[in-house]
Parts: sequence; C-alpha cells; structure tokens
Amino acid sequence: MEKEEPAVKSLNLIRGRLCNPSFVFRSLSGSPDGNYSKLKFIISSSVSEGCNNTILLLGPRGSGKAAVFDLVVGDLLQEFPDSVSVIRLNGLLHSDDNCAFKEIARQLCTEHHLLFSKMASFDENLQFMIAMLRECGLAHKTIIFVLDEFDMFAQGKQRLLYSLLDAMQSVTSQAVVVGISSRLDADQLLEKRVRSRFSNRKLLFLPPSKEELDSLLKITADARFKDILETFFNANSTVNSLLKLLFSAVSSMDLNSGLLSLENFKSALSIMQRQTKLEAVRDCSVLELYILVCMKRLEAKEQSSYNFNSVMKEYKAIHDSFQTSDYYARTVCLRAFEHLLQRELICYADNRGQAQTVEYRPANLLISAFELHHGMRSHKCCPAILLKLLDHL
Amino acid sequence: MVKTMSKEEPSKVTRRATRLSSSVTVSKDEVENLKPNESQRPTLDDLTFGEESISLDSVLSSFPGRHSQILGLVRLLGPLDSPTLPIIIYGSASTGKTSVVLQVFRHLNRPFVYSSCLTCYNPRILFESVLNQLLLHRKNASNEYSSAKRCDKPSDFVNLLREALCNVVDKLSCTTEKSRKGESDGKPKGKMVYLILDNVDLIRGWDKSSMILQFLFNLYHILQMPQLGIILISGVPPDVYYSNMGYTEPIPVYFPEYSEDDLRKIFLRNQANRKLYSAFLDVVLRSFCRVTRRVDELSAAFSLLFRKYCEPLTDLGIGPNEEMKRRLYSHLQPHIPPCLNEIFMVSSQPPNADTNGERKRRASCNTSESREDLEKLDFHMSTSAKYLLIAAFLASRNPATLDASMFDSTGGLDNRKRKRKASEKSMEKKEIAEQETLMKGPGSFPLERLLAIFQCIASVEESSFGEETSGSGDDVEDGNILMSDILLQVSSLCDANFITKSGSCPLEGSTRYRSTVSEELALKVARSLGFPLSKYLYRR
Repeated sequence: MEKEEPAVKSLNLIRGRLCNPSFVFRSLSGSPDGNYSKLKFIISSSVSEGCNNTILLLGPRGSGKAAVFDLVVGDLLQEFPDSVSVIRLNGLLHSDDNCAFKEIARQLCTEHHLLFSKMASFDENLQFMIAMLRECGLAHKTIIFVLDEFDMFAQGKQRLLYSLLDAMQSVTSQAVVVGISSRLDADQLLEKRVRSRFSNRKLLFLPPSKEELDSLLKITADARFKDILETFFNANSTVNSLLKLLFSAVSSMDLNSGLLSLENFKSALSIMQRQTKLEAVRDCSVLELYILVCMKRLEAKEQSSYNFNSVMKEYKAIHDSFQTSDYYARTVCLRAFEHLLQRELICYADNRGQAQTVEYRPANLLISAFELHHGMRSHKCCPAILLKLLDHL
Repeated sequence: MVKTMSKEEPSKVTRRATRLSSSVTVSKDEVENLKPNESQRPTLDDLTFGEESISLDSVLSSFPGRHSQILGLVRLLGPLDSPTLPIIIYGSASTGKTSVVLQVFRHLNRPFVYSSCLTCYNPRILFESVLNQLLLHRKNASNEYSSAKRCDKPSDFVNLLREALCNVVDKLSCTTEKSRKGESDGKPKGKMVYLILDNVDLIRGWDKSSMILQFLFNLYHILQMPQLGIILISGVPPDVYYSNMGYTEPIPVYFPEYSEDDLRKIFLRNQANRKLYSAFLDVVLRSFCRVTRRVDELSAAFSLLFRKYCEPLTDLGIGPNEEMKRRLYSHLQPHIPPCLNEIFMVSSQPPNADTNGERKRRASCNTSESREDLEKLDFHMSTSAKYLLIAAFLASRNPATLDASMFDSTGGLDNRKRKRKASEKSMEKKEIAEQETLMKGPGSFPLERLLAIFQCIASVEESSFGEETSGSGDDVEDGNILMSDILLQVSSLCDANFITKSGSCPLEGSTRYRSTVSEELALKVARSLGFPLSKYLYRR
C-alpha cells in the first residue's frame, strides 16, 4: 500500500493539472506577443481609463479562448479588487432574450447583494440593467460582459446585443463586452446597427505552430514517440485535444512502476482516433453483411434508389446463383435490416414525408466501398463468397 | 395508500377489498407501522449503488469478454477524488454498457446520479430527475409526487445544478472528515459526484435536440466544477452527433459485440448442468451467430430450443457422453432451421413448465400446428372490417382503370385469356413494371373507390350466401346504415395501421388512402371469409 501511494499521488496531481485549464494556459501564455498579454492590455486599459470597449476572441474549439480570458480576469480581480465585476452568459443556455436578461439581472443582483425577483418581466430586467450600468459607471466600476458562443447570440433578432451595446453608448457607463466564438466569421453575422456599435477588435487563437510543436517533441529523442505525436497532430492540433491524449495516456499509467511508457501513448492514440464505421462493420453478423453487400451491388448497378424489397430480390438472386447456405426468411432479414439502421450503417433516404411502411421506404448506404471492404476483411467470420462478390463489383 | 388498517378486523373493511389486500391485512398486525415520511427520506448514502461493495475481480468475472473495457473505465475514472474529463461509452444494444457502468460504481462505492433518457423523455423530466437525486428529494404522497424544483430550461438547470452540487460536495467532505478513521463501512467514498446519463442517442428524437445535445456535451466546460464527473452512455457511435457547431468530444470507450467465445461463457453462467448446456451450445451457437449476436435475441431462441433439446433425457442432471450427444443432436436437428427463421418472433404462447409427457405430445403435433397457425388469423375482426381490408388491398393493388371490368356482374376477372407469346419488348416492359411495383409500394386510392369496391364484393358474397340477408327493412335503409358503420370501420382500420392516409392533392380535395397490408395477410383474411381473392388480383 505504501509503495502505491506516491504513484497514486503523482497520478492525481497530473490528472488534476490536465483537467484544470487555467494551469495549462498560464504556462503557455508567457510571451509578450501572445493573446494573453494583448487581452490583458486591452481590458486593463479600459478599466483604468474608464472607457467602453468591445472585443471578439475567435478560434477553433479547444484553443483555450475561455481559459485565457479567465486567467486575465483572475489577474485583474487581483489588481483592481473593487472595480471589476464579471457577468457571464453562454449562447447555448441564454440565446433566448428573456432568459438572457433574467440571467444578467440575477448575476448583477448576486454580485451587489440585491434581492432578485424571478417574476420580473423582460422590460423590468432591461431597465434594471441600464440603471445598473449607469450607477456602476458613476462609481467607476467596470462591468465585463462575457458572451460565450457568441454566434448563438447573433441568431434571430439580436435584441440582447443591440440593447447591451446601445446602453454602452451613454456617457456614464463603463462596460467591456467580450465575445467568444469558434466561428471565425462571427462578426459577419451581426446586423448593421449592431456592427456599427461593435469595434472591430478581434483576437485570433490559432493552434500551436510547427515550432512550438517541435519544441514540445524535444522532450524525448525516441523516434516512435515522435511518430505517435506527429500522427496525432496531423489530425487535430488544438491544445485541448492534446490534453485529452495526455489524460488518456496518464490514466493508463502503470501504478506499480509509477512511470509512463510508450504503450500508454499508443493506446491513448488508438482511443482518440477511433474508426467507428469499421468497428460497426466488424460488429455485424453474417446476415447483416449479406444485406450490406446486396445494397452495394444495387448501387453499383446504378439504381438511384432502392428499398428493402429490392434488396430482398438481390439477396434471392445471390442465393440462387451461388447456392449459399445463408438463406433466411423475410422477417429475419427485415429485423437484420433494422439492426443495420440502428447501427447507422444505412439510413432512410426520405424524411418521413411518405409515411410508408419499412419495406418500401428508400434506403441508402452510409458507408463507402473502401470501409466496407476493410471491415469485411477484418471481420472474424465473413464468408468468402461475400468478399468475392464485393471484389467483382 | 392507507396503512393504518393494521388494528382493524378484516371483517370491518367496508370498502371492496381484493383477495390480496385482505390477506395482507391479516398479517399487518405484526408489522410495525412506520410513518412513510421519516423512514423513506433519502440520505447521502443513497447516492451510491446501495448494495455492499464488491471487488474488482468479481466485476471482471461477472462480465465475460469485457475485461479491457472494465479496466479502461476504472483507469479513466482514476483514483479517489481525481478529476476526470467527460467520458462517452458507446456500443450497440445489449452489449452490457449500463450494467458494467453500474457494477463498476458499485465496486468503487462512489456517489453517482443516474438518469436514463429512455424514462426521462423530455428535457424537463431529465433535469428534474437529476436535481431530485442531488437534492435528496424523493417523490411521495406528502409532496404530491412533485419535484423539488421546477426546471425546464438549460440555464435554470445549470444554476440549480451548481447549487445542488456544492451542497452535496460540502456534505460529502464533512462525512469523509468524520469517518476518516473507519474503513469502508458502506458510506460513499470521496468528494466527487458522477453524473451518468443513459440512452443519450434517444435525445436525437426530441424537440430542439441539437441544442440539448450540444448543451450536454459542453456541460463540463460550462459548469467548470472539477468535482463533477460526467459519463454518457450511447447506443450509437459519437460521430453521429457531429453537428456544424462543433463540440468538445468526450473520451470514448467502445463496447464491441460479443464474440462467440464470450457468448458461450455468458450463456453457461447460471446454468444448472453446464456439460449438457455446453453440448447444446456446440450444436446451435455457430449457426445462430450468423444471424445475430445480440444476447437478448439469442437467449429467447435458446431457451425454447434447449427445452426441445432436453426432451429425450429422463435425467437432466447428468453430463452427456459422446453417444448421447449424437442422439440429442439428431433429435434437435430438424428443429433448428425453422427456429432460425423465427428467431426474432416472440411467440404468443407463454412457455409453460409442463410434465415430460405433455411436452412430447406438444412437440409431435407442433409441426402440423404451426402450419395451421400460419394459415389462421390470430386476431379477431368483424366481417365488414375483413371485407373492407380486402377491398383496400385490391384498391391498392389494381389500377383503377380495371375496376369496371373486374367488378362486373360475372364477379371476377376472366383469366382464361389466350396466352400470347410474350415478345421481348413486353418482357422488358414487364420487368420495368415489376421494378416499379417493388419500389413504389402500394398505390393510393380515394375513399369513394374503396367504398365502391367494398359494396361490389360484399354484395357478391351476400348473393352467394343465399337467403341469409335480413328480410326486414328496405334496401335503401340497409344501405345507409351500412354506410355509417363502414366509415367507422375505415377509421378504426386506419388506427390499426392497416390503411394509412397518404398525401392528398389540394385540387382534388378528398384524402387518399393506402393499404399497408401484405399479400400474405390479405390471403389469410380472404381465406377466413371464403372469398376468392386470387380471382380479383391483377397480375401483369
């Protein structure tokens, strides 16, 4: 038990650090040219000078936009303890205007120890927000509005954005609006009247460049390790996905030795890069493979649309010409067809518009010929006749 | 439920008591009468699995074939109080995902909240179920079966969840402080709470499903609480959830279908006579695995077959030797192919534990019975409904232009035409036409055509019955009464999905219907009426 303790402790420590975005990004944000410094400069200057500002943080998912912003806010709260308050909104939750204003009012109330009434209407919340902005401006307190998933707020009538930005135009308010989005064209989604009130400041969060990745790879001279990491980065090079890879590798660490090995990283890579269609084909039973091959043959015969009945006809034709032993009744095949639908290897081609029975609705394959070949070759008991049929398509 | 009747005599029961309740009330004199509220208020312990914790080895041994998945899951969850990234567990149906997860949590004895999107069929019920479990609230009569908090929007859910989690984590850290000396005494371990959401793929069929799925996948990042671990269980692979918004993918854990060896181990568990069952599996497993490898479907088929397999044996406890195995196999052999073809059908007769003799008799007349069953209808329909069904089938099958010639006074298509030698062009046309019928499905018809055909065939049959028609009342009245009854029957056939409404042309005005009955069923119905359906079918 005592021998395991240090290994367990170190595992806990590493996992905790990997799951904590602020730890990760603090170490990455040293350079003066980086986004962290730029953002910090912008926001702290608006706070100290008492002016309004708007900024957009854009970048692919997992590049650490929200994490960097949280770091900046944390630093600012230490520097200016009483002059900054943060209101957080999320596009997934608060894209409805009523919801958004209610949430703003609620957060303002908790921040300033006021009583919040759930029955307040939209207008009342709006008036409250404008009044608070004015009061805070007079007291030289800056309110920072964070709009996560900014592009969700830009759908519909953009009432929230307009009222917020409009309120900021008045002289006494001191507010900073930070929008975070993974759509790089988020500012193009804004209406004209909203865009005119929005400054064009954008910070792009790009995935780490080649040099930074190379510096990361220098930690070991092992060529196989470098290969693994390079394969990984070719697919997805954002910071968060790297964190997930490390997390998987670390959690499979051998607790007896307390050391990471190459095997951990290999297994982590295979976890992260799954080939789900291949797995689904390998899971199929022999009858389901027959149905897939029949559908492929129908496609090859350039039948633009086919349904279960045509598949059955093809199945019978195969049985008649090759005398296979796998000929089952229609009900069994229908059930296997439904299993394939559940596995998402085939789908219906129409959108429930026709209200026809299962046998007549046109169906489509969701898997390419290459994947089907590959899957059938690695299938444990695929009959040779099927492989031959697929090869001679 | 009134539980204070323990002191009353059963004879003083004034309300109508069922046999069960009156027999129970007699024994209630001894049962202590607890107030339902106090004893049933959930505590923090209820957040764990509830039964005593088991070791990892017993989890591994109770799930053959899931060794790597169980170890992978345990490793991802990590040591006690270690934060974890969200995990998604996926695999096809009946691969043991839910049971493995729950047993792993039983082994780890960590507090968790479990909700299934199968029982919680819209967002409000899902959110409230999670919150009820976290707020240690149970729905009972005292609070009129209501939830602790009303919550139907994701924004409210996030706020309430944060509050509830903070409360629970505080309570958990208090208890761990107190019981630091005492070892695993059934109390939940650790300061983390895990949220398990099952059947996440069903959310795709909900309203605003893409929003809710995005919300669930991003919940970890929205909440920013390292004390919460999220585990999603899904029946479809995660790439099905891709949308154009993008989301942060959880770490996947894959549960493949069982291999044949795993299936053998699974079926051999809990068997009284392993040698006998293993010999049985040698015979059937391979051929059935070619059709499906799902445990639920195979077990239904195997239970029937195993009963047939054991019929020649007088003593079910012995292990068979080679000669006996061969005998049993030859006895079972003829039953295997029909069972394969019925593998997915659920039999309407419940399996009963008869004596050996009755089973033998049943087995011998089974084949003839099954053939008869195939020809009989196994549900009841009134005569007019049967005629309507046949009329609908004919209307869908035959083109409308043939109606006049088919339903004339001679009653039936005259099939004794001269057979002309089919030319190549007509053969091609026939093939294309056949292709079309395969693809298009049954044709649609307006209500008037259905009623016209119905009246034709019903009148034809009535005249063939002879003088069984009712003599009272004039024909016009009979016709009118028949009409309203028939319209009701049409709507009930629609409800039973024998006829569906198909799209109607706005110019024409009337709705068109489509028959969804297979030829087999129509023939069965016609046979039960004694109606010569084949005479009326149009064959190209």
